Amino acid sequence: MVTTAAPAPTATAPASANAVQPANPPLRGRRSPAASVALHATLVVASVIAVFPVLWVLLTSLKPASYATTTDFFKETTFENYTNLLRDTPFLTWFGNSLVIAGLTTLLGVFVAATTGYAVSRFRFPGKRGLMWTLLVTQMFPVAVLIVPIYNIMAGLGLLNRSAGLVITYLTIAVPFCAWMMKGFFDTIPREIDESGMVDGLTPFGTFYRLILPLAKPGLAVTAFYSFITAWGEVAYASAFMVGDENLTLAGGLQKFVNQYGAQWGPMTAASVLIAIPAALVFLFAQRHLVTGMSAGAVKG
Amino acid sequence: MRRGITATALAAILALAATACGGDGESGNGGGKNGELSGTVTWWDTSTVGSEDKVFKKLAEGFTALHPKVKVNYVNVPFGDAQNKFKNAAQSGSGAPDVIRSEVAWTPEFADLGYLAPLDGTAALKDEKDFLPQAAASTKYDDKTYAVPQVIDSMGIFYNKKIFKEAGVQVPGTVAELKTVSKKIKDKTGKTGMYLRGDDAYWFLSFLYGEGGNLVDATSRTVTVDNAAGAKAMTVVKDLVDSGAAKTDATDGWENMQASFKDGEVAMIINGPWAVSDTYGGVQFKDKANLGIAPVPAGSVAQGAPQGGHNLAVYAGSKNLDASYAFTEYMTSAASQAEVAEQLSLLPTRTSVYDKPGVADNEIVGFFKPVVDKAIERPWIPETGSLFAPLVTEYTKVLTGQTTPDKGVGATGDAYRKLLKGWK
Amino acid sequence: MAVHTSRSVASAPGGEPAPGRGSGSGTPAGAPRGTGGGLRRAVATHWYAWTMVAPVVVVIGVIIGYPLLRGIYLSLTDANERNVERNIGVNHLPATYKFVGLDNYADALTGSQFLATLGWTLVWTVSCVSVTFALGLALANILNRRIAGRSAYRMLLILPWAVPGFVSVFAWRFLYNEDRGFLNKLLAGGGIDAVPWLNDPTWAKFSVIAVNIWLGVPFMMVALLGGLQSIPGEMYEAAEMDGAGPWQRFRHITMPGLRPVSTTVILLSTIWTFNMFPVIFLLTRGGPGEATQILVTQAYKFSFEISPRDFAQSSTWGVLILVLLMLFAAVYRRVLRQQGDTW
Repeated sequence: MVTTAAPAPTATAPASANAVQPANPPLRGRRSPAASVALHATLVVASVIAVFPVLWVLLTSLKPASYATTTDFFKETTFENYTNLLRDTPFLTWFGNSLVIAGLTTLLGVFVAATTGYAVSRFRFPGKRGLMWTLLVTQMFPVAVLIVPIYNIMAGLGLLNRSAGLVITYLTIAVPFCAWMMKGFFDTIPREIDESGMVDGLTPFGTFYRLILPLAKPGLAVTAFYSFITAWGEVAYASAFMVGDENLTLAGGLQKFVNQYGAQWGPMTAASVLIAIPAALVFLFAQRHLVTGMSAGAVKG
Repeated sequence: MRRGITATALAAILALAATACGGDGESGNGGGKNGELSGTVTWWDTSTVGSEDKVFKKLAEGFTALHPKVKVNYVNVPFGDAQNKFKNAAQSGSGAPDVIRSEVAWTPEFADLGYLAPLDGTAALKDEKDFLPQAAASTKYDDKTYAVPQVIDSMGIFYNKKIFKEAGVQVPGTVAELKTVSKKIKDKTGKTGMYLRGDDAYWFLSFLYGEGGNLVDATSRTVTVDNAAGAKAMTVVKDLVDSGAAKTDATDGWENMQASFKDGEVAMIINGPWAVSDTYGGVQFKDKANLGIAPVPAGSVAQGAPQGGHNLAVYAGSKNLDASYAFTEYMTSAASQAEVAEQLSLLPTRTSVYDKPGVADNEIVGFFKPVVDKAIERPWIPETGSLFAPLVTEYTKVLTGQTTPDKGVGATGDAYRKLLKGWK
Repeated sequence: MAVHTSRSVASAPGGEPAPGRGSGSGTPAGAPRGTGGGLRRAVATHWYAWTMVAPVVVVIGVIIGYPLLRGIYLSLTDANERNVERNIGVNHLPATYKFVGLDNYADALTGSQFLATLGWTLVWTVSCVSVTFALGLALANILNRRIAGRSAYRMLLILPWAVPGFVSVFAWRFLYNEDRGFLNKLLAGGGIDAVPWLNDPTWAKFSVIAVNIWLGVPFMMVALLGGLQSIPGEMYEAAEMDGAGPWQRFRHITMPGLRPVSTTVILLSTIWTFNMFPVIFLLTRGGPGEATQILVTQAYKFSFEISPRDFAQSSTWGVLILVLLMLFAAVYRRVLRQQGDTW
């Protein structure tokens, strides 16, 4: 993983913390060498644990399939797993489907979560408390029990085997958390900004769209990241609702490679690596906002 | 119980209605008014991706050569998902295929739920007498035929001839011999004798049959899994694992079994014809002659492996019944079966196919045919497919030492009685 | 950033920032409900708020609300696959299940299966959440210091969150494999016997918890890191001048400062972990035997893996899960309130 490109230190405080920035506890520069070593050692160990499983899949994908279960780090390095995957399987179709579904989920999810979060943050209206609780409660009812009823709803709406069906389902997973978080984030934006918008004669929608949204970038970035990851990695609904190579998403498609009745390590590992790439890109894009966005959201959640 | 009967009766009535509709189409066909089939037939195939699916896809699409106006939509659904996916789709009335490759135990269940179109008197059934009787048995439910047998299978011991030679042992004929053979292999070569799948109860059945047991007895409506033979069989497999004669896993059983056999870490596995092509892919079997296949070892009472296989069934809600019937007939015809047997070594369900050149001299088919003839049929009741879920839980628990063989089969029996209301 | 400085204002007591407008007239208690005038006035006052939340309400109402109500209803019947309504092409099989009252609940609560599964689910939830929180807190504290390569570390540590769950669970299964997995080869190098990671009931429990912690730490760490960064540095300076040691600073500044974040993330991660379907399902399918079966995976088994599918029992367990979590949320909230929080 080439992740050494230094991200802009927006979220973390600049090294020379000045008084304006509520930054790190100072005086840490005076750490003893032993303490420094201990800290680095901890971080290195933690990073290795965090990265290793994924790295192992990457290494395995570069070995010929017949050596997939060996434990050498490198063995006859080859790209044949990748070429086979792209040539012989409908991987690219699944990939495209997943991209469309995750992309739509992200766009709609961010939009819906933002408007909902804003409404809940700024206005007092009948049903608000109920709504907040509902958002929490939707996370409590287990997916497992919902699959068959949602399947039937989608069948009734003619959305089975269509991207729209999965997008709508994923919105129900992603939006509650995102709306909660956006509410928290909007709470941290001073209300004077809204009031100035009103003074200028903007409607509540105009205020929201022109003034508040541009300030909410970190929150939107986290929301986008969360929605994307949710839709990109979901398995249960994806494999229940979609059938046929031209409709499957990655989560469903990959079950063809490794299931209870057989394992094709070659394509599976190569596919896993390729799948991680878009997620990593979204992550890179969002990560400098992640800490700010999350904390603001979670603090007031 | 009562409700079960009424639901079944209802299903039968509705199914009759479906046949009536189909019948109309038939007569239209026969009349030659507009005999040409058209439209799309969607087929859900469950064969193994990577090896079997290509052959079946090509075969299925060959249907268009006979009926140019019919488009065949081949969809491969992983075997592990297919039952659930079909159930989801079939009950909701949308998204179901026209034809499904149904495992033998699923067929009576789907039929009982009203999802399948009865095929008696339709174009789907041709030369019925040609089918092996045990293959045809699983397609019948409630005196009607709901599917057409496509392939049949059973299980045997796959063994690594090289390791056997090194250890100087012969293929074990009984479970007792299996233990001594395993020990000798361990002593001489350091390899483990056998890999026994611990995460799928289908692999337990031949040991159960070997002790004279069975899951249920449908004629006397009795649950038999928890009788003395059942408990004995559980003890036998537990002993195989404990004594080191066999090793097992509670997860990833298929992968571990195939990998350790293909890499030559174990000398024997129990498996069926569906595993042959995969096994040949292993390092140890680059020389195909190194793979030996023999009947499963006998227990203290009997010898036998379960009979399995796949049928093709037509969804009762299909919008294109006529073409679906014709497609089913085409896929199960002697010519199609011969091609499948030749290319994939899967066993035909038609007696006549076994005599065809290319099939008659196929070694794998030749080995499994007598095994299939002696294989033990499961009772083809709607619940047959449901019997595995409770059994596999207890089977794994026994093997991992979470419960005793006696308690294990006891709990399985209790679950069965809950499932089969009114059984002893 | 203005964001941080305004945080304290936003979370001022009362929780609800003063509403921009319409605060006086719009409360439901004040307006006589049901009368046309009141309704019209409510619509006039709140239409924009309602418009903004409408998409969420509609989608959740249809996709979650209906199945939820139906689930509650089915849990009071003996519905299963063979007696529910089915549409097979032109054929329609009407539902024939009947109402059985609270029998399913009585069965679940008096039988051993539900309680045993609940016991393990609680162990699973508590250990996952507490260890994840502890690790997340420790790492966040380290990352909040000035340390070389901090951004790189942070990026690597967040990585498990960015990888799709089914890929990382697959990777772990690969590592856990008893004969050919990397972990056992590593142990063998150190002369330690192979560990049956997923094959022994106790080890399997340990293994699934470990994977879930691995998956959960990044979220926890990021949230807590944000919380740490919003604690003003002057507080530490002041404390240090007063002679407070590192532990006292942690105890009296860091912990209280993190309280708002931690209460939220603990609540959320408890709910998520309690219902964490994919980890268990993809790693062990609840096995060996039923050793790692938590309530959700068992409910899934009832409605999917056994046949005939038992919709009634599955719904019953689903409703019980919901009730348990709602009780938890309510109690949690009350405890926090008693401790003076305004959540």
